[in-house]
Amino acid sequence: MSILQKIKNTVRSRSIHVSYVDVGSCNGCDIEVLACLAPRYDIEQYGIYVHNNPREADVLLVIGSVTPQWVDKLRDIWDKIPEPKVAVAIGNCPISGCVYARRGTLTSPPVEKYIPIAAQVPGCPPRPTEILNAILSVAPLIFKDYEEKQP
Amino acid sequence: MRSIVYYVREFLRPEWIRKFFSVKTAPLETPSYFKGYPTRTEKECTGCFTCMMICPAPGAIAVLRKKDEWEPEVYPGHCIRCGLCVEACPEGVLSSGRILDVTRRDRTAFASWYHLDVDDNLCMRCGNCCVSCPVNRQIDPQLAGTGTSASDEVIMRIEGGRVRILHMEKCTGCTTCETQCPNRAIRVARMVEGVQLGEAEA
Ligand code: SF4
Ligand code: SF4
Ligand code: SF4
Ligand code: SF4
Repeated sequence: MSILQKIKNTVRSRSIHVSYVDVGSCNGCDIEVLACLAPRYDIEQYGIYVHNNPREADVLLVIGSVTPQWVDKLRDIWDKIPEPKVAVAIGNCPISGCVYARRGTLTSPPVEKYIPIAAQVPGCPPRPTEILNAILSVAPLIFKDYEEKQP
Repeated sequence: MRSIVYYVREFLRPEWIRKFFSVKTAPLETPSYFKGYPTRTEKECTGCFTCMMICPAPGAIAVLRKKDEWEPEVYPGHCIRCGLCVEACPEGVLSSGRILDVTRRDRTAFASWYHLDVDDNLCMRCGNCCVSCPVNRQIDPQLAGTGTSASDEVIMRIEGGRVRILHMEKCTGCTTCETQCPNRAIRVARMVEGVQLGEAEA
């Protein structure tokens, strides 16, 4: 392993930048994501920073069950995130549509139809600890030795 | 001067530097009394489907026939962990957090029944509902093709040119009448009410 790769691994393990996007949910999951920032859970002590700018993000948290207005825009946001990147589905909505998965609602879950999802955190809403654990466990899988894993 | 020296000494302690640069707390544990996804207890499921009927989330729970017994199955990604199925199950088959303990302590339960409602503006008095109802047919085999009946024990009958509901409490909620009605005039609704049992019943 080259020294450069080692440096990259160290930096990436201590500096994960998160952006989140709500593509049509009840806002419950947004509140739980914000709770991760609060002193009780303190997401920044793990080196995870919430920026909400896709251009500097490593992890995209997708919340919500995808309304028609978001179908093309979600793809745009995903394309703006520089490699290496990973998307995590937060809550039941991006997985199944949750309570919106019935006739007469303008949603088209799952979010996997639009962008690749690396991990899912079920729950309505998921607890901050579950969100934290998901980010902490999926990030090293994707970011460690990223350049060496490329074909 | 003393205070500056004190601060420098404080911040140069290896322990302080280590704590400053490394993670301080492990992600918090979820307390055991938090409501999780319902799990099965060792009690036997009777396949009454009460849990499926009360569940507010589409596709969250299914009671499946496995070999010779019924088994409720909860699907994460659909379930919203509301715990209603745990509370509603009459057999105590499901469990989540401390819901079962609390319902036992407070002696709360769910009472449910079916409510029939006929919209007189839509109803054309055809009698299909009265004739098709399996409970009606069992009570009064002589039920006329127009839905009139001599028996006072039927759930409903055509009386005085309109549907009269006599015994709503006998309805089993099969919704046969709903599907047989040409005008969607009759509606079957399942009503659920939280009740607290008295000393004697508990
Ligand atoms: S906990 Fe609530 S959402 Fe989950 S299966 Fe039971 S009733 Fe349905
Ligand atoms: S789990 Fe309980 S409520 Fe559900 S079908 Fe079985 S006995 Fe009925
Ligand atoms: S729901 Fe079934 S039992 Fe109840 S009134 Fe209609 S047909 Fe009869
Ligand atoms: S089947 Fe419908 S239209 Fe006919 S009598 Fe019953 S409620 Fe009225």
